[in-house]
Amino acid sequence: MAEAAIKLGGKKKSIFMDKVKEILPQGNLSLCLTCGLCSSGCPATGLESMDPRKFLRMVALGMDDEILASDWPWCCTMCQRCVRVCPMQIDIPQLIFNIRKARPREDRPKGIRDSCDAAMKTETLSAMGTSVEDFIFVVEDVLEEYQESQPEFADMQAPIDKKGAEFFLNQNSREPVTEPDEMVPLWKILHLAGADWTYGSKAWTGENYCLFIADTDNWEKITRAQAAMTTELGCKTYLNTE
Amino acid sequence: MILSPGTKPYDPSGLDNLGYGKYPNVVTSDGFERILSAGGPYFGHVMRPLDREEPKSIAWLQCVGSRDTNTCGNGYCSSVCCMYAVKEAMIAKEHIHGDLDCVVFNMDMRTFGKDYEKYFLRARDKEGVRFEKARVHTITEDTETGDLNIKYADETGEMKEETFSMVVLSVGMTIPDSAVELAKKLGIDLNHYNFAKSDPFKPVETSKSGIYTCGVFQGPKDIPGSVTEASAAACLAGADLSESRGIDTPVVEVPEQKDIAGDDPRIGVFVCNCGINIGGVVDVPAVQEYAATLPNVVFADSNLFTCSQDTQEKIKEMIIDHNLNRVVVASCSPKTHEAMFMETLEACGLNRYLFEMANIRNQNSWIHSKTPEIATKKAKDLVRMAVARSTTLKPLNEKVITVNQSALVIGGGIAGMNSALNLGKQGFEVVLVEKDDVLGGMSLNLHHTIEGNAVRPYIEQLIEEVNAHEKVEVLTGAKVSAFGGYKGNFTTEVITGQDGEKRSIDHGAIVVATGAKEYKPTEYLYGEDDRVVTQVELGNILEEKGAADLDTVVMIQCVGSRNDEMQECSRICCQNAVKNALHIKKLNPDAQVFVLYRDIRTYGLMEDFYKEARELGVIFMRFDKDAPPEVAAGKDGLSISVKDHIMQQNVSIEADMLVLSAGMRAENTDELSGVMKLNRNPEGYFMEAHVKLRPVDMPGEGIFLCGTAHAPKLISETISQAQAAASRATTFLANSEIKLSAITAKVDVDHCVKCLTCVRSCPFQVPTFNTEEKVLEIDEAMCHGCGVCACVCPRQTIQLSFYEDDQLSCKIDALMAGGI
Repeated sequence: MAEAAIKLGGKKKSIFMDKVKEILPQGNLSLCLTCGLCSSGCPATGLESMDPRKFLRMVALGMDDEILASDWPWCCTMCQRCVRVCPMQIDIPQLIFNIRKARPREDRPKGIRDSCDAAMKTETLSAMGTSVEDFIFVVEDVLEEYQESQPEFADMQAPIDKKGAEFFLNQNSREPVTEPDEMVPLWKILHLAGADWTYGSKAWTGENYCLFIADTDNWEKITRAQAAMTTELGCKTYLNTE
Repeated sequence: MILSPGTKPYDPSGLDNLGYGKYPNVVTSDGFERILSAGGPYFGHVMRPLDREEPKSIAWLQCVGSRDTNTCGNGYCSSVCCMYAVKEAMIAKEHIHGDLDCVVFNMDMRTFGKDYEKYFLRARDKEGVRFEKARVHTITEDTETGDLNIKYADETGEMKEETFSMVVLSVGMTIPDSAVELAKKLGIDLNHYNFAKSDPFKPVETSKSGIYTCGVFQGPKDIPGSVTEASAAACLAGADLSESRGIDTPVVEVPEQKDIAGDDPRIGVFVCNCGINIGGVVDVPAVQEYAATLPNVVFADSNLFTCSQDTQEKIKEMIIDHNLNRVVVASCSPKTHEAMFMETLEACGLNRYLFEMANIRNQNSWIHSKTPEIATKKAKDLVRMAVARSTTLKPLNEKVITVNQSALVIGGGIAGMNSALNLGKQGFEVVLVEKDDVLGGMSLNLHHTIEGNAVRPYIEQLIEEVNAHEKVEVLTGAKVSAFGGYKGNFTTEVITGQDGEKRSIDHGAIVVATGAKEYKPTEYLYGEDDRVVTQVELGNILEEKGAADLDTVVMIQCVGSRNDEMQECSRICCQNAVKNALHIKKLNPDAQVFVLYRDIRTYGLMEDFYKEARELGVIFMRFDKDAPPEVAAGKDGLSISVKDHIMQQNVSIEADMLVLSAGMRAENTDELSGVMKLNRNPEGYFMEAHVKLRPVDMPGEGIFLCGTAHAPKLISETISQAQAAASRATTFLANSEIKLSAITAKVDVDHCVKCLTCVRSCPFQVPTFNTEEKVLEIDEAMCHGCGVCACVCPRQTIQLSFYEDDQLSCKIDALMAGGI
């Protein structure tokens, strides 16, 4: 933090907070009591020498250059622990989302951006870029292995595109590619519970990096595709594992 | 009808992050009060519920169920929690004789009442209670130990982790559903938090004529405020009924006094445990046993609380069963309960002066709590002395005098006018004395309340009503020049007008309402630069010129309050700043307002206005007492530098105007208090008889107190206090005669050498030399019973009844007889 004094006063200037307040009239952004409840519960407190209270303070004081340049908004997990206990119900996650959005797309963190872009390139919407064929192959291969090696799960199934199943189960993209065994525990649970479930061959991805990169159009596309696949298979419940 | 349905503590069970109901060592503040109480589950020993272990550390979490529109919907401040948390920490430390780490996690410490700030400072600086400006998100329990882990971000943003044996949730006050139902049935309006709706100028009146309210139902408040409002509500209801006063008064039957002349003393001794206040230190059974062995003692007993109602019944029984003719109570200060015990004696036909107390609490167990053996020995000594003295006591008779059923009110501001008017409405003649040429006092400088009610029309109407009331006589430009007499029969000399005409007024009661004024700052370029003004001056500027030319206004709080020169909080300045900040914002939404504060103390329902101010963009910055803002004057504006408490970085604000929230100062009453012999505290405010139980009575009987002469307060609080003072004065004046204390000085004229030492020494000018009869006279009606004359008389010809020389020297003999 620079040691120079923060300059305030003079004639009123329009600040970033005013714009967010227009989009987010229920966000209570001005109401901060500076009590620090948010910071006490935030997993990102201390990262980048920042915490939610301090960040909101910069917004309130009109330190627009600093807030837009800060990388801290990308540390936020959008978990909402802050707004849940905030005595003034200040919607810090929404504020953070709008700040992320205010940064040009090309300047947003490459890792998250690439994951969003990768998802948009395949029908599976996988951030790892996994194709329909690869996903089906991995699931069937792993299932077969377990059916054979663990006789008590010989009857276990991992259906894909099963019409009329009760549950549509989504799947984090990383597991089928890097840790396929990690998919199995949930299958076992669903098997033992007697649940009627299915994966989709398309739009099975659980994560949505476009949300985290504040790419609203693609966030919406992913969500709509997930809903459409669920509807197409006639499933009653979308089971989110993320 | 008076509604006082009270309050219900907020139930934090629904807040899963705090673990109340799940972790046994998380308790509410009202639960902790029970733990501290001698009549509570652990008999006053501080233990944690899980394992009955004494806690090593306790954390208080403030604002649970208050100042929160999200998790509980109670946007108001409950007003009392900061003070009770400090108190609980202090008592817990006192009960646990070893080290106890106490931490109060808070947003703002709101110790705004009379002498509260001093108490807070004592807790922090002398007793080591820690106050953390932080709030705790989640409590987790160590399942092995039952300890509670809490993490919090301090003001710098650093995460801290601490473990406590117990956590106390400082829960706020809510209105019970039953009160809401009652209000519905009665058709009275409630506000959005279900408190009874009232007007700041009619604080204890509900929306329905003839229905009054007091206590928390009126708004969150503490005991002194509640007791004051109770008297205020009684005042208004009493005024409605004044015509029928006295027609159905029950008479207390006192049995005829037994003649004990010639009887040997038969003493009963009652030793008090005072919960654990005494019993926790002193070996009470041993003291009781010892008392039974003392000469003339025929009965000795001990009780958990000797002052309780059932103990009074027990004492009566014992007086009769054992034919007692002297009673000794070994407990607390006679100041608190002596009168009550004396009534117990009277109810059995014993003269009330056959009673003696040994103070084994205030003067013993409280100060020798760390050395119980010595305390027990001292308790025995004190009891032996009291028993010795009781043998020497004689029945005394109290003189009955008539009461002049009229009042004098000193001060013609809001407080004085309201009490005068209400005394008039109760049917008593009142003279209202105002030193200025016009009525109104400080209120003439004020424009509107924080709620938006215009002050001026209210004052004008009040002045008109006071002037028009047939029972009230107004003397403006008047000064009290001399004072004499005694309760029920005072005479005050007043000088009026430019020619200094003297007038003598006879009256039975006095209401002191001399008011206060705004502090004149010497800080922050005040008086040197026109752009630096006080809040009262800002109020005038906004009224006259508006705020169109203001781009940026900075306000600094606690100017002349909460500092080394004036430790106390001035109570009204935070709401004043918020009120004026809102006014600026409403006149000119583009104006920027910064409030530099130490703790924002918008207590009670005023928290809504603090919220509104933030909503409109007013920025609040906290500074430390030791790092106050710096102000520099430039050609184009003022530059105010301060460190922002959240950014931990210096901020420089360019402002058109700097507004100082100058605190309150009591009016200069040096002369008046000298003439009338009325006690003031070091801050110059008059002292009440008892902070909680007699908040508008002064120590001298027949003298009452209200308004800012008592301590800083709002207009609404001043009005209810003025009504309360009128109510208390009514209670006093309603009796045509009163009994005087028999504790007065008597002179033995045969042996008096007329040296007049007593005349020179009496602080109340009571002894006089009758030049015709050539004798010294002490009027027992005027005598305060202080005993100064008896002490200074070189010939010992003056004796103070009840404290005659042998009645005191026998105590010393008894003390010496025990050996030191």
